[in-house]
Amino acid sequence: MIGNFLRLGIRQMNVQLRMRVLSLWSLALFFTQPAIFSAIGMLLARAVGNTRPDLVYTVLGAGIMGMWSGLAFTSTYDIRADRREGTLELIVGSPTPLRRVVGFRSLLNILAGSTSMLAAVAAALFIFDYSFSGINIPGVVISFSLLLLALWCMGIFLANILAWSRLSGTFVDLLEMPIALLCGFMYPISVLPAWMQQISAVFPIRWGLETLQDALKGSLIDSALVNKWLIALGVSFVYYLLARWFDRKVHDHIRITGELHSI
Amino acid sequence: MIKRLGHLFRLYFFQAWFSYRSLFAWSTPFSYATSKFGFPFFAMLFFVFMGKFVGFLDPMFIVIGNILMMPTTNGLYGISMTIGNERQFGAMSYLLGSPAPRAPLFLGRAFFHILDGFVTVLVALPIAMLIFHIDFAEVNLFMLACCLVLLSITTTGLGFIMGTVSLLSRDGWMFTNTLGQLLYILIGVNIPIERLPGFLQPLSGYLPMTRGILATRLALGGAGWSEVASLLAGEILVAAVYMVFGYTLFRLVERASLSTGSLDSI
Repeated sequence: MIGNFLRLGIRQMNVQLRMRVLSLWSLALFFTQPAIFSAIGMLLARAVGNTRPDLVYTVLGAGIMGMWSGLAFTSTYDIRADRREGTLELIVGSPTPLRRVVGFRSLLNILAGSTSMLAAVAAALFIFDYSFSGINIPGVVISFSLLLLALWCMGIFLANILAWSRLSGTFVDLLEMPIALLCGFMYPISVLPAWMQQISAVFPIRWGLETLQDALKGSLIDSALVNKWLIALGVSFVYYLLARWFDRKVHDHIRITGELHSI
Repeated sequence: MIKRLGHLFRLYFFQAWFSYRSLFAWSTPFSYATSKFGFPFFAMLFFVFMGKFVGFLDPMFIVIGNILMMPTTNGLYGISMTIGNERQFGAMSYLLGSPAPRAPLFLGRAFFHILDGFVTVLVALPIAMLIFHIDFAEVNLFMLACCLVLLSITTTGLGFIMGTVSLLSRDGWMFTNTLGQLLYILIGVNIPIERLPGFLQPLSGYLPMTRGILATRLALGGAGWSEVASLLAGEILVAAVYMVFGYTLFRLVERASLSTGSLDSI
């Protein structure tokens, strides 16, 4: 049972990794776009006399941007690509649930996207000569893990939404920048007006990211940090449940209407 | 002669209409609007907050710059997709096999994108005025209109080039997208050109829209013809070079494809 599960996971992720590595588009999402956004932040800072970019928001924030952009496009385009290439029927017809396939793919997409974060860390160390001596390492590890969980939950949620309608791709295209905007990828959330901060509270990424930024700045593991971790966990779980609900709806829709390629 | 010209015009406008329709016909008004305004609007807000965080005290510079960049959605991305999709959807071999003159076929792909890009900015500017309380009391409306028309046209040069690149590479869209994002840095959208690092400033001068955006900013501040004429002339010259280069590149690619038979299958 566990062996089958692991074999499925490894094979799915193997195929997915090949697709990601062979796609220049994915590499652009992981590296080029974040680098350009980071450069804009640096040049804006330079324009007002700051010679050194902000480590947490301008440099490492670009890594988060890459992780999110990669996830938003790759995870959600996976089902669209399956539908276009005619493999969605084969997946739905196989005994392996679609959600399991989507889950593994999203996991690989997030892990692949993490290379964007690695690149940002490398840039911080070797280009900008930053030291990470003051960071709260356990806090960073826990926060980053929660951020990955939050991204994965949003990934499977979005993947299921996309299976619902061909036009839902528009919503996903529309989510990339608003999530980056609302969750404070490259600036502190406090920069936003209060009403925007309230909206961002419904996204688990915001909480995971906020704790990561705090831990990178050396915040101790206190009740405030733990509370944010719990919120990140709770909101992620809500997205997971929503994804499961959507997954059932999609399957029911397929069975009732007999439509798959045309949904 | 007149009959020949009539034929060329007819070909130009039919091609223009069909290629534009094929790009957006599948779309709903909602998805059309989001594809036009969604990313640019939220990216603009993102840059405004990024600027606020680093202490850049002129958010209106970013807002206006991003609005003036909106024609690239049509001029760069739209035209590049229109040309690139010919190959993706298998229509390229029919086009190349037809005896129709290439100039109206190729250049016709820009006409409705130019109109669309112009209308997009016309819609976005008043919305920005309302949301951000921008004061356009001194605006020179005639000059502004001239600048906006010119901006909508000049972006197409890059679109023609990237469209041809899309014919050569399956990853053409990635190159187009990367170039589109680099424009956020290089043409004075978010950062004033004079505040860019020294090695980037000359590069800005060789790109379309740089002078157009600068001229439009001046027109918004009430500048007259004498103040923007040289900028507009430079903009026209740069755009013409890009368009001619794009068309020449297309013809070269077409000629190469005839000898190798590879254009539709690469």
